[in-house]
Amino acid sequence: MNPESPSHLRADELLAIRCQLGERDAFDALIARWHEPLWRYLRTLCDSDDTASDLAQDTWLRVLRGIAGLREPARLRPWLFGIARRVAMDRLRGNYARAMEGGEALEEMPAPEPDADLESDLATLQSDLDLLPIRERETLVLFYLRELGIDEIAALLAVPAGTVKSRLFRARQLLRDQFRGDLP
Amino acid sequence: MSKPNMSPQMKSLQDVRALAGAQLSLKARLGYVALLLAAAAMSTVILSLWITEPALPSRTQVAFGAMTLIGISWMGLALWALSTRRVLYARDRVIAGGMAVAFTSIFVVGAGAAVAIANNPAAYGALFTGAVMLAVALRVWAGARRRFAELSVRRAALAGA
Repeated sequence: MNPESPSHLRADELLAIRCQLGERDAFDALIARWHEPLWRYLRTLCDSDDTASDLAQDTWLRVLRGIAGLREPARLRPWLFGIARRVAMDRLRGNYARAMEGGEALEEMPAPEPDADLESDLATLQSDLDLLPIRERETLVLFYLRELGIDEIAALLAVPAGTVKSRLFRARQLLRDQFRGDLP
Repeated sequence: MSKPNMSPQMKSLQDVRALAGAQLSLKARLGYVALLLAAAAMSTVILSLWITEPALPSRTQVAFGAMTLIGISWMGLALWALSTRRVLYARDRVIAGGMAVAFTSIFVVGAGAAVAIANNPAAYGALFTGAVMLAVALRVWAGARRRFAELSVRRAALAGA
């Protein structure tokens, strides 16, 4: 399944244009289609389900307020993930600044909560991903789970395509090592 | 109400749907359009009276100044809300443009009647400002209808493909 195929791009564009027109049921369809992928992406960038839900609310608020001005409706997918990423980064920056103001050392900041529910494969994958460095984790998630192309990820993360490829390579290697039990 | 065994994603989806329901309320958005138009009309009338009456007592001038400031503040609030908080989509912009044209037309007719009956400078000022507002409203409405038509054409093409 190629997310950059003409039929996918057409479907995305149609949904975005219906939202720009102000069709109420198009917003329902947009949320039904994209909420879970966005939530899962945000979950890889934060340390708890509650934070991911909170970030998802902020993301959707920005989406609802910004979609009327979306210039390229066919680029809906990278636009959505770009907003989610900015929301998550704003939060991380805010947390970091608060921690510094309060004199809290980075080592004392709460560690990611251990994933207690490892019943499903998806939950197992999530906990494995949590152990990867954030840049590699994010790139891997965008490429394999969110099905964005190399160029789209490069635009989203504001890095060259070559950097995306090298991060993907490193992420795959780390994950492979992890599966073999090489990581602590 | 959320079920106790609902997954975090589903709970979050429910919250987002509630958020969208509140955000997409047409009544709330058109309320800001009505506020903008009413504040613009109020400011115009007061400003016309203030500028064209030569010998107003200083207390009246202060009162007019305060009321104009209040009107402009309401306009600022409505414009801020419509550009950042309760944005208008293409269809809403057509409705809002129509509201603006209807409202400013009524204002111009009223100011025209005041000119015919009272023939004072304040009425002329209100008529002139009303005419400018009507021209702006017509331009905004035409732009909104053009944008709506463009999007509708593209929508039909994509839906038919």
